[in-house]
Amino acid sequence: MMQYFYIIAIFAGINVILASGFNLILGYGGLVSVAHPIFYAIGAYVSALVAQKLGVPIVFSIMLGALVAAATSVFVSLPSLRVSGDYLVIASMGFQLGLLHIINNIELTGAAGGLTNIPSMIDEPYRNVIFLVVVWGLVLGSLWLIRLLVSGPYGLAITAMRNDEDAFVALGRNAIRIKVTLFALGSGLAGLAGGIYAHFFLYLTPEQFGIFSSAALLTMVVVGGAATIAGPVLGAVLLTALPEAIRFIDLPIAIMAPMQGVMFTLLIVLFLFLRPQGLLGGREGGLDAWSGTAETDSASDEEGAR
Amino acid sequence: MDLSWGLVGQLAWTGLATSTFYYLFAVAFALVLKVNRVWNFGQAGVMVVAYFAMYTALQLWSAPPLVAIVFGMTATIAVSLALEWFGFRVLRGRKSSVLTYFIFTIAISQFAIYLGELTFGADPKTLYPSIMSPVILVGPIAISHWDLRALAVTISLALALAAFLRFTKDGQFLSAVADNPELAEIYGIGLGRTYAISIVIAAILVAAGMYLVGTRLPMYPATPLNQFLVLAVVATILAGIGNVFAAGTAAIILGLIQTFSILVISSTWQILIVYALIFVTILLFPSGVVLKRSSRKIVRAGASASGAAAPIASPPAAKEGN
Repeated sequence: MMQYFYIIAIFAGINVILASGFNLILGYGGLVSVAHPIFYAIGAYVSALVAQKLGVPIVFSIMLGALVAAATSVFVSLPSLRVSGDYLVIASMGFQLGLLHIINNIELTGAAGGLTNIPSMIDEPYRNVIFLVVVWGLVLGSLWLIRLLVSGPYGLAITAMRNDEDAFVALGRNAIRIKVTLFALGSGLAGLAGGIYAHFFLYLTPEQFGIFSSAALLTMVVVGGAATIAGPVLGAVLLTALPEAIRFIDLPIAIMAPMQGVMFTLLIVLFLFLRPQGLLGGREGGLDAWSGTAETDSASDEEGAR
Repeated sequence: MDLSWGLVGQLAWTGLATSTFYYLFAVAFALVLKVNRVWNFGQAGVMVVAYFAMYTALQLWSAPPLVAIVFGMTATIAVSLALEWFGFRVLRGRKSSVLTYFIFTIAISQFAIYLGELTFGADPKTLYPSIMSPVILVGPIAISHWDLRALAVTISLALALAAFLRFTKDGQFLSAVADNPELAEIYGIGLGRTYAISIVIAAILVAAGMYLVGTRLPMYPATPLNQFLVLAVVATILAGIGNVFAAGTAAIILGLIQTFSILVISSTWQILIVYALIFVTILLFPSGVVLKRSSRKIVRAGASASGAAAPIASPPAAKEGN
């Protein structure tokens, strides 16, 4: 039983890294992309394949996976962001569907059957305990990095950009560079999470990185509270634990997966309308934070109260 | 593969016939984007509802085709109106960001897909037990009854929409609201009613398209989001935002490219053509290739109305009246 809780805690940690990276893009950057799981997949497959086929040490293969995910994200985001931030959603969706289709159909990645025999980073007997410490250490490191990024001078630039991009650009600042940087950092974190996932669970299938994963990630960020540090942490932990609770009902997998999908997407819609700031968004966080409407609304509420 | 005129003719015909539902989906998407100013990714969810409503009537209730189509269309219109009244209208009233619209519409589509998988299973389905259609030969080209029916339905709907937009007051109101919602409202045009009309028209086109899909191909619940919607969005961008019928034409061209790609790549990789075209379109034709001038004008109008600098129209935050 204890081993089971270790596994859930490790998976929750991986999801926290993933959701926090996504929050950097969606919450802080205000960039819409539903393709975050594909960068998770890139990190996982690159790391697994490089370690398996070339014998690269696993620590380096995970770092390489994260770097490739970050570099690929630049290739995806730069053309669309140069035109309009709104085109990013369709470009990223096309990239996700296209790459998943390729992974699903080539021998190198194990095709639809999945990639097996991925080398493990840590051996028994203390594998789970060590992984738990490593993963949550990386969680703390990632959160510290994000906090540093969004609260320092660069964070001020991000806030200025998201609140009034026209004025930001008029002052001679490069908004696209900030957006691409946020997208690359968020995707790099996804790649890191993917590498850890691959070398812990030792098995990858393309369907793990499809629209279900996109819905789950969106839910973690929206429910927890976008544009906050703690929101996605709470969202990721809650939404890792919730499906596990349902698992005890012992439903067939054909029902479990879509039922979780229905629950996740329903939660997104409910939170969008009833609590757009999420559980921990407060007055400054949430989906409307980046456009400045949350502040405007509260200001007008106060005015109305007078 | 030996290339002959017969083969080219057959591919062109099959591609054209198969593109009919792409045309309907692209026109529906482009119309809602033009009038309601929403990138309605929820259209994929509406497609799922249309399909499974007709599937339920035909396969589970053994209803006659006409009853199934009417039932499917009614369900599609009801869901679309619910999306407009309880979704977009609320978000407009709150002056929600474009980000919120995107997340809402994508979540709605995903919700419909999962609900479809939960209720009907994740395996592919057709509307009828058999989707074989009788074939007639015109020279070397095989023309199926389905092809003719699909073309007749699509041409009729396109003509009806063109006539509606051109000759009816409500149709002209759609254009007026698309051009400038604030000014249209000053002239007494009810924005809420106009948005509802545009979404109902889109629902009719989607339901018709899904009937054609279901009588031609097996469909997974996720197909509308993974394929049909992506193609509709690419066609809309390619046509230039605001050019509704040009989006349909672009969808046909994309469908033909996809069909002809069988000459150079295997059918497994055919779908990649659409995904690759997304990048080609965004890189080379971000404002569209058809009627560039008018699309720019509309884009500018959208930007000035919403105060946004983005090259697409943002959802307006005007009051709605009937």
